[in-house]
Amino acid sequence: MVDAPGDDRWTNAGSVVLGIETSCDETAAACVRGGGDVLSSVVSSQVDLHARYGGVVPEIASRAHNELIIPVTARALFEAGLDGEDVDAVAATTGPGLIGALLVGVSAAKALALAWDVPFISVNHLEAHLYAGFLEEPELKFPLVVLLVSGGHTMLVLMEDHGRYRLLGQTLDDAAGEAFDKVARFLGLGYPGGPAIDSVAMSGDPEAIRFPRSMMDDGLDFSFSGLKTSVVNHVRNNPSVSTEDVAASFQAAVVDVLVAKARRAAQQHGATALALGGGVAANSLLREQFLTACTEDGMHAFLPSRAMCTDNAAMIASAGWYRLRLDGPTSLDCGADPNLRLSTLPA
Amino acid sequence: MLILGIETATMQVGCAVGGHEGVLSSVHSAKGKRHAEQLVPSIQFACEQARVELAEIGLVAVDVGPGLFTGLRVGVATAKALAFSLKVPMIGVSSLDLLAFPVRFSNRLIVTAIDARRGELYYACYRQVPGGVQRITDLQIGSPDDLASELLASGEEVLLVGDGAQRHAESFEGLAKVELVDTGNSHPSAAARVELAHARALREEFERPDAIEPVYLRRPDAEINWSTRDGR
Ligand SMILES: [Zn+2]
Repeated sequence: MVDAPGDDRWTNAGSVVLGIETSCDETAAACVRGGGDVLSSVVSSQVDLHARYGGVVPEIASRAHNELIIPVTARALFEAGLDGEDVDAVAATTGPGLIGALLVGVSAAKALALAWDVPFISVNHLEAHLYAGFLEEPELKFPLVVLLVSGGHTMLVLMEDHGRYRLLGQTLDDAAGEAFDKVARFLGLGYPGGPAIDSVAMSGDPEAIRFPRSMMDDGLDFSFSGLKTSVVNHVRNNPSVSTEDVAASFQAAVVDVLVAKARRAAQQHGATALALGGGVAANSLLREQFLTACTEDGMHAFLPSRAMCTDNAAMIASAGWYRLRLDGPTSLDCGADPNLRLSTLPA
Repeated sequence: MLILGIETATMQVGCAVGGHEGVLSSVHSAKGKRHAEQLVPSIQFACEQARVELAEIGLVAVDVGPGLFTGLRVGVATAKALAFSLKVPMIGVSSLDLLAFPVRFSNRLIVTAIDARRGELYYACYRQVPGGVQRITDLQIGSPDDLASELLASGEEVLLVGDGAQRHAESFEGLAKVELVDTGNSHPSAAARVELAHARALREEFERPDAIEPVYLRRPDAEINWSTRDGR
């Protein structure tokens, strides 16, 4: 363990952190005890509000967060059987994300911390995704490689200890989830693209079309924009092609690259376990191939449940508990940073 | 009853504490758009200056706009979270109503106008009544020229206040009966909010926190574009 200035003053096994998450289109609140015991986790998705626009509309998201933030928080406390006085700290996502959306959660969280006279903790959304695994598998051992894939990010992170990360690779252009959304929109499969392609691909042939595996043998970074272009070109040149086959072949190309690189990263860095995180981690093919690869390599695989892969506040509360232990409380003059990066050690 | 007033509809961030003894403390700052950073520390400071514990607050009064969207959300989210955690009621007051309050002793037609960006204003008209002012129009959005023609058509003596009126002063310069006043009141004040809320609290005009939402007066662009595309 790292020597922590905050120590056990706020973060002992019994302390409860209320986590709040509003970085994109889910309004979420959760109560987590001791960094890992989820007492409640409430997620209100706005996906229906944004569906007809084919993506998240920041102003619509911010308005919805403002309406939902208190009911969702009240629900999380109620489900945990807690009253405000039982909360020992309040954590909120301060970035990365949509600035107007983030500010709703940060403002509410700081006000709650002020009123209850408990620490406020600023949480990096990316770090929180890394903690999602611990919520379901407290026995996870360092060093651990996490493949974090969502609509906003695609990265491979080596976790050496709590709060000690190395960024091993990331996307140079589109995030994996973004590629899913764009291809789904092009194929007329609707929004969000991930689940849409996942289900259509079930009845397609993943080997029907050999889409390129960009940068397959080239380091640990990713690139997906070329793949999206290949899909568009292929469909334009072959108008009668089956949508199912295109979806399945596209998905296979994305998953092949993700799994190959995660595997390589784990080998190169002597990791004992590989974990998945982020919304795309809910993809069936990715989960299946990830598990197969880990079994072949004798590596401990960790696949969080779908609810923990997508944005939620339990991961915020958990990461908050560890952050409080490492850094102590965050000042109440904290704002939000839409471009916040994961603070990493030099690779 | 002690009231905490919160004000974030314009570039200014403000909060004030007061009650039947009047305003005990008020804090305003207007440097940069840093509503989220400044509001909670301002509340802490205002309570300290008033020698009041936050737990003694019995009512949270908040500006519900119209005004800057992000600023309003910071204010409303903060106010709702405070009311929820302190288990106290809320009162929402419009930014335009608030601007009219300090000039309530005029018997002219009082018009308040807040900058709505994109060359538009949020505005409303008021008339003096015993003990304050009464709004006689809806909260509106329009161009400075729209407002100028309305004022000209009314033929009345007008007192015009607000940061929106200041910003578009040239649109009102030629109107003989319109006086644009800069009383130092071009932003709504949290102190006025506490006074107004106190009067309403005496009449027990409380609102449930979930009934309080910002008054936007403008739909999100994506929604407008969508309706236009559909010809609705
Ligand atoms: Zn996320």
